[in-house]
Amino acid sequence: MSTAARMAVAAPSAPDFQIAVRGDALTAVCFTAMASPCEVLLETADMQEVAELARAAAHEAWRIERKFSRYREDSVVSEINRSEGNPVAVDQETAALIDYAAQCHALSEGRFDVTSGVLRGCWRFDGSDRVPEVAAVARLLPLIGFEKLQWRSPQITVPPGMEVDFGGFGKEYAVDRVLAILCTQFPGAVLVNFGGDLASNCAPTQAPWQVGVERPGTDREARLLLEFSRGGLATSGDTHRFLERNGTRYGHILDVRTGWPVPLVPRSVTVAAGSCVEAGMLATFAMLQGRGAEDFLEAQGVRYWSLR
Amino acid sequence: MQLKRPPSALHLGLMAASCALLSPAARVQAADSVEQPFELDSALLYYKENSGRVQTIEPVVSLKKDFGDQRILGGTFTVDSLSGATPNGALPSRKPQTFASPSSTSLIPQPGKKTTLYTIVPGNLPQDPHFKEQRFAGDADWSQPLGLDNTLSFGGHASTEHDFDSLSVHTDYSRDFNEKNTTLSAGVSEEYDQIHAHGGNPVPGSDYELYEHEGGQTKTVSGALIGVTQIMARNWLMDLNYTYDHSEGYLTDPYRILSVLDPLGSVTGYRYENRPDSRGRQGLYWVNKVAFGTTVLDVSYRRGKDSWGIGSDTVDAHLRIDLGRGVYLEPHLRWYHQSAADFYDLYLSAATPAPQFMSADPRLAAFIGTTAGLKLGVTIGRYGEMSLRLEEYEQRPSDQSSALPQLQGLNLNPNLTATIAQLSWRLQF
Repeated sequence: MSTAARMAVAAPSAPDFQIAVRGDALTAVCFTAMASPCEVLLETADMQEVAELARAAAHEAWRIERKFSRYREDSVVSEINRSEGNPVAVDQETAALIDYAAQCHALSEGRFDVTSGVLRGCWRFDGSDRVPEVAAVARLLPLIGFEKLQWRSPQITVPPGMEVDFGGFGKEYAVDRVLAILCTQFPGAVLVNFGGDLASNCAPTQAPWQVGVERPGTDREARLLLEFSRGGLATSGDTHRFLERNGTRYGHILDVRTGWPVPLVPRSVTVAAGSCVEAGMLATFAMLQGRGAEDFLEAQGVRYWSLR
Repeated sequence: MQLKRPPSALHLGLMAASCALLSPAARVQAADSVEQPFELDSALLYYKENSGRVQTIEPVVSLKKDFGDQRILGGTFTVDSLSGATPNGALPSRKPQTFASPSSTSLIPQPGKKTTLYTIVPGNLPQDPHFKEQRFAGDADWSQPLGLDNTLSFGGHASTEHDFDSLSVHTDYSRDFNEKNTTLSAGVSEEYDQIHAHGGNPVPGSDYELYEHEGGQTKTVSGALIGVTQIMARNWLMDLNYTYDHSEGYLTDPYRILSVLDPLGSVTGYRYENRPDSRGRQGLYWVNKVAFGTTVLDVSYRRGKDSWGIGSDTVDAHLRIDLGRGVYLEPHLRWYHQSAADFYDLYLSAATPAPQFMSADPRLAAFIGTTAGLKLGVTIGRYGEMSLRLEEYEQRPSDQSSALPQLQGLNLNPNLTATIAQLSWRLQF
């Protein structure tokens, strides 16, 4: 292993996947990617037929992780973040993700921002009471703001000290991509589920997919059971990721304009939409509204489940 | 809590953006750019020892193919041609000295035999001016994960030149612990060499004038390594390795001789050198890589010890300074010291019987070697890199003079200086 690879402290995903028959009409492919358990359900009981599809699914997830993880030194994201203010020319796929980040930034009126990751420098949501100093947060604010980037496809220039991070929709993107790849090779129903963010082309012949959405951090309704047939479903929540000091809870949804947590966010918001990226972004936008999360979702005309 | 309402303008915008992201155009591109890069490294190394000694130009081509999932196949091919003058081990003398090149089959011209002689002027270090060698070397390595936290690699190496063939295999195993912050490695290797010097291998320790030669000889080298790599902090990596290798067989240099001198220092003859037929070597290697922002310091210390009595210390430091815009500068300093082998001497005395083992090879002498260099690298595009490295090497033997009357004022073991230039390219595609 090269030294550079060793210096990237992150743990890459397990290069392994399992195939198992579920019931009499489904086959499951399981692997780990993006620090999440990943499962793909295919409407067939033929494990042989699935082998090649399983490989394609896992490899696509690992490819996206390898290419866009900010934890990997050899990722495109790390390359952009290391550029020290120099322009970086990116490939078409990366350009599409940056375009998407730009559109989400505009649609959310600046609340959703892929440059907000630098706030991790002072916020560690580990359940402790280590709330950062006001001055420490303020010092990072000049390094945040998508509008400070120069983006003229295919060239991006990130000012020194700033960072971009596609973590806000990377997993959802992988879910949609894996589904799209499987649909070109498999005629039956497919459900792709990466740690609770999921997408499907259609329901199996017998009955809709039964989906259990984890909503940890609460005593009641820990698992949301729902029926799902096609499109995307994604959940945003502050679950275990918060700080608590003097009775005040600081959730991990940060307001990029202040650098401080958005107050009064729901514990969890699950949204159903046309694709997983779309559902995930709607859930994130809702969380960024704090108290107004549910009103926001109702105004969008989407199916959602919120938990406070 | 389901509501049937037309999508809002924001939702419509998000739908459009999401569709664009997942559109077939983007999809095709993504599928095409499946990253299993081919990495091609090539370099041209130029090495020149000053005062007309050996020089070499060495092209190296190395290919690496990543099959994904950390399965990597690598291969390297090297060609080098050495030419120039190389010291034969005899001392300078007040009188002219005549020697035969190793390609000769006799010291005296006679029918049916080939004799190439060279004569050294008084006071000069005896060097064979006809030295010329071409070497082809190749190796291949395969590395793959084994389960979750293990990596297994194995490989082979082969090289051939006119008088020396070498074959070796190795296998290494490493295991990550502690969320990949600690890696333990172990490896073994085995090498098999054939030595068939020009004109036959001289009988070790024999009288040069008798010109006694024998057939080809072999040697084997068995090696083992254990090591630990530890991430000490986010920006600090430490590596500690212990190596042991054992050589067995013909370890003598077939072209090296020693002067035999009378008590006044006059040459009475020469003998071929003779080294023990086994050698055990141990090394302890400690490496630290520390990043200060984009500047990376790489400092290492190595302690070596072998059964021939050679002890060595190496301190090596590289500092990689990122100048921005894909340009970096890397100064390099290296200091090396070794003590002499037990059987090393500048010459043999005619007054005493020849010892069992003897060599005047400057590489077995006590010396200090220092290297100073600078590398300039430029990254080209996303995957390419080009670099130029320039280095100066100086080797200062501690044993350079003798009190024997005939040798006074002669530099018996002159300093060696060498210039190294290397131009490298790296491409990924």
